[in-house]
This record gives sequence, C-alpha cells and structure tokens, in this order.
Amino acid sequence: MSNTKQRIIEASVRLFNENGLDSVRLQQIAEEVGISVGNLAYHFKNKEAIVESVFEQVFEEFDTIFRQYLVSPNMTDFDLQIADFYAFFTKNHFYLSEFFKSNSVTPPHFQQWQVGVTKMMIQLRSRLQFLSMKGDLQPEIQSGQYEIVAEQIWMSLVFFVPKSTMTGQAINMTNYKKSVWNILKPLFTSQGQQEFNATILPQLYW
Amino acid sequence: MKPKFSIDALAYTVLMQGINQQYFVEKKGDMSDFRLYYDDLWLSDTAVIDDVHRSKGEWAIDLIFVSIHNPLKFIRRYIVSHPCPKRAAHKAELMRRLAAKDQRGTLLVNKNLLQMCQN
Repeated sequence: MSNTKQRIIEASVRLFNENGLDSVRLQQIAEEVGISVGNLAYHFKNKEAIVESVFEQVFEEFDTIFRQYLVSPNMTDFDLQIADFYAFFTKNHFYLSEFFKSNSVTPPHFQQWQVGVTKMMIQLRSRLQFLSMKGDLQPEIQSGQYEIVAEQIWMSLVFFVPKSTMTGQAINMTNYKKSVWNILKPLFTSQGQQEFNATILPQLYW
Repeated sequence: MKPKFSIDALAYTVLMQGINQQYFVEKKGDMSDFRLYYDDLWLSDTAVIDDVHRSKGEWAIDLIFVSIHNPLKFIRRYIVSHPCPKRAAHKAELMRRLAAKDQRGTLLVNKNLLQMCQN
C-alpha cells in the first residue's frame, strides 16, 4: 500500500476514535493528513472506500494477534498476547461504540467481527485448558468453569477501554494486564504461582 | 473480491486442542536419532561394481557396494532394467560412475583382505 494511502487510513482511524464513524467528513480527514480533498479523492473514491480499507486493516491486525497463540509454552506468551490486545483495542475502540448507538442498526462488517470474536473466545478457552494441562492452573472444579472464566477474561480484554473511560481510570498497559491476570490469580497452582511471580509479576508491580 | 477463507468454530476448537497437545507430545530429539546416518556411513567408503544380467526378459542392472575395508560387507541394489544389452551396459557404466564416491574408480576391493586359504 502506498505511503499516502496508509497515512490516510491511520488518520481516519484516529478521527473515527475521536468523533465516531458517522460524523467524520472527508474534509477533516484531508486536513488531518495534510493533503487536499482532491488528492484524497484520487486515493479513495468516497468515504465508504476509506471505511472499507480501515476495516480491512483492523481485521488484519486482529488476525495477527491470533497467530501469536502458544509461540512458547510459558506464561509470558499469554502476557505478550494481552499486550497485543491492548494495543489493538486502544487503537481501534471506535468500532465498539458503534454497538451502543440508539438506532439499533447492525454495524458494518458485523459478521466478520463476530467470527473474530468467536475465535478470540475459543483461543482463551483453549489457553486456559493448556495452562491447566501444564499444571499452572488448578483443574476445573466443575465442568464449564473455565468457559465462564474465559468469558470474564474476554470481557475484560474487550471492554477495558470503555470501562476505564466511564469510571475515569487511567488507561494504560499495566492496568489492562492486571485486570486480566487478577481473574486468573485465584486459580493458580503453586507451580503456576511461582512462574507468575518470576515472570509476570515484576512487570505489573515494579 | 474473493471472500476471506474461514473455518467454523468447531473446527477451530479442534485445531486449538491440537496446538495444545503439541507441547506435551512433541519431544526434542537427541543424538540417537542420527543413528541412521552413522549406520550408513560405511557406504561412503565402498567400491561400486555394476552387474548386468538377464531378468524377466530384460537386462537388469544391479549395483553392488562393497566395503573397501571388509569385502564381506556389501549390499546389492537393483537399479533399472533395459531391453537392449548394449544400452544396458552403457547405462550400468553411467550408473556406476554416478554412485561411486570417486568416478575414476580408485576405491577398489582388495582380494587379500578376504584372506582366502589356498590349501
């Protein structure tokens, strides 16, 4: 992709985050990038084309995070994935606000988003299974327990940014990671606790 | 535009389980895995002899690999067969040169190594 095109997409994402998907005009995007509207029209036919490209990039980034699953068997592997999710959801939080509009219109690319989100949930569930098989997490007390835990983690990963905005808490990586690890903490075995203390804890409370 | 490839949730779950299992099932290799290589190392010091003979109505080419240190250690392998004896002989020559470590044929079997008794 050409440099200008990439710059336009990045500026659009910034503006969508600030003002919402609908209220951004082409003029604003052109000003943000520092080019004329005519030049913008040369790269993208209309706003739909820009939105299309933005979503293409968003889903590409989303898929990239999934490819990081179990690169190494340690807890740091999950920690790195959480960091990726943080970067993704802080950068692209405009999409979530589409769901909370009063006119209940399905947001664009809803199906693709659903596929991604289902993938995310399945990965979290199998991550918990893996950690439990490895001996870092206690075995399930009742079947389906980790399914609920996975859902809790999922909610924390997805809705941390809106939640922090609502409550006025600071949005930073450490708080984001804490919110996830705090869910897992009570489930650690002594082996898991040791690994957590050695590798993850130092970066959460330095 | 071609629609993006995707798999259903069930298939993805099974795939994930597979990745999880990998960690427990796959083990690192050790030197004993190279046993195969060391077992065949003697083949690099062999004299290669071609043998053309009639087999099933054609001229079959066999190559015999004989250790130059111990002629009683050898293997015989069928390579190819040909209907024409002249061509078979020519092919055997080419195959022998291809298989031999030294094309000039410097690796030879020494009959003294067999320690035959003349009595």
